[in-house]
Amino acid sequence: MAAVKPIIEIKDLSFAYDGKTVLEDLSICIPENQFTVILGRNGSGKSTLLRLMAGLLPVHQGSILTKGKNLRTYTRRQRSGLLGFLPQKHKAVFPFSVDEVVLTGRAAHIKMVPSKEDRIKRDEAIEMLGIRHLRNRKYSELSGGEQQLVMIARALAQQPKMLLLDEPISHLDYNNQIDLLRLLKYLVSLGISIVAVLHDPNLALFYGDYFILLDHKRAEEADRSNVLNMQITDIIFSQNIRRIEHDGVQLFIPEK
Amino acid sequence: MNRKFAITILYVLPIPVLILSLLIGSSVKVGIYDIYDLLFRPEYSSDLTRTIIFDIRLPRILLVFITGGMLALTGSVLQAVFRNPLVDPYVLGLSSGAAFGAALGIASHVIPVKLSAFIFGLVAVALSWFMARKNKEVSIVSLILAGIITNGIFTSLLTIVQIMSDPFKLQSIVHWIMGNFHNASWDQLSMIMLPVMAGCIIIFVLRWKLNVLALGDEEAASSGLNPNRLKIWVLLAATLAGSAVVAVSGIIGLYGLIIPHITRMLFGVDNRRTLIYNLLLGGSFLVIIDNFSRTMAGYEIPIGVFTMLVGAPFFIWLLKKSNIGWQQ
Repeated sequence: MAAVKPIIEIKDLSFAYDGKTVLEDLSICIPENQFTVILGRNGSGKSTLLRLMAGLLPVHQGSILTKGKNLRTYTRRQRSGLLGFLPQKHKAVFPFSVDEVVLTGRAAHIKMVPSKEDRIKRDEAIEMLGIRHLRNRKYSELSGGEQQLVMIARALAQQPKMLLLDEPISHLDYNNQIDLLRLLKYLVSLGISIVAVLHDPNLALFYGDYFILLDHKRAEEADRSNVLNMQITDIIFSQNIRRIEHDGVQLFIPEK
Repeated sequence: MNRKFAITILYVLPIPVLILSLLIGSSVKVGIYDIYDLLFRPEYSSDLTRTIIFDIRLPRILLVFITGGMLALTGSVLQAVFRNPLVDPYVLGLSSGAAFGAALGIASHVIPVKLSAFIFGLVAVALSWFMARKNKEVSIVSLILAGIITNGIFTSLLTIVQIMSDPFKLQSIVHWIMGNFHNASWDQLSMIMLPVMAGCIIIFVLRWKLNVLALGDEEAASSGLNPNRLKIWVLLAATLAGSAVVAVSGIIGLYGLIIPHITRMLFGVDNRRTLIYNLLLGGSFLVIIDNFSRTMAGYEIPIGVFTMLVGAPFFIWLLKKSNIGWQQ
């Protein structure tokens, strides 16, 4: 991958929850301006890795360089302009309107209350995702797909260089899954690097440019052309999954 | 249009409520003319009228208004911070903690009442929070259960203080726990002014950020806030204002739960605006309730009795309706 500039460089990263090692001596790079997919089984540390990259968990061992610098050396405001993060599922407790939810993405720039500029940035993010019709609806009453769009708009209101998404499509129906992945692809074309945890190998291969494969505390990286030849791919998608080729596309389907 | 009308009413409401409440009382009939005399023709009004209006009713009404406003305000703030629509100073144990602290202050004369109330209010909130925390998460229901335990602990401690106190102090402690204002005075008002103002200013400064906190910790952190530091500030401010009013009013249960819900139903959830609405509605409404409590019977019915009797079914209704989280 030497040709592509990395936006995140991870070196010798280890992480443990309450003494239980989740990641060990990880060294990988996330390329800039690409759609990077993190693949791995449940419990393989995908969400942990994503949270470490987002700065939501502290790095104790090893290092993560974001745009060449340790995340901690950035101010909170700089960090919010660098990366946006979407948790797996956001549960709404209070019926905030979509406008109000998206506006909270500007938090790093707001001392007391949002300014006109913040509202303009919010409106731009809403326009970008084409959800103007939802503006005055209550977030808690939207469908899963609509809620996901609103949360992406919220992250985009930060104007980040990169979006980190933890299983963004796992609660969506198939149509919405594809719409969302196309949208992420579109964001990449606008110059935003995307890192997303996905589970479906077919969708991952179809939309992803670059792949991080996680298994048993270790990780490997690959671009499109290599990913299928890697041993780890067989480990992640094991015995009961068969590969077939159709129209030149590799597909993963269940074994009979 | 409808909402605008409601907001206008809300802003104007305190004025007639406060004035009419000045005319209500068990002692002597004091009418609107007496107030007119008092203000514009002082030479015609008697000392008795002056005392009743200025030294008994006015401080009481103001104290009740501030207490109601603060309970509603802290209730809504606690709900936002804990992302839990079912908490208020009473449910979280803040009230009973502050009550114990105040009683300890009255009985011991070692720590100032106000300071003691604040410290134990804070201890109670922290206790509920840490008891409810599991795997770095605090579920809606576990927080309520933890609040019940906290309430139990501090109510027991309070009983110990009562048993050990002499009858005179005991009487003042008991009266005060039941939640009433018959001791209201200018002294009490000036006593709570500072913590109430300090709490309000901090909350006012952070009012919009409460919207961000209400979305969740990770969401707040990823858009550049420090949720833990923010929470500590907000909780300190809420406990400061909340325990100050509890120290003069006693336990007025569930009031801080009811008002924020009514405010949300009428005016939405944006904390930038609803905080002031809670203050106004909470203040006015408690003054109205207090008017009943001091005139319905020949003697005074503790105001906490009213709020509990109304609040309890309201709480159950909310729990059923909102269908929120037995799991998370």
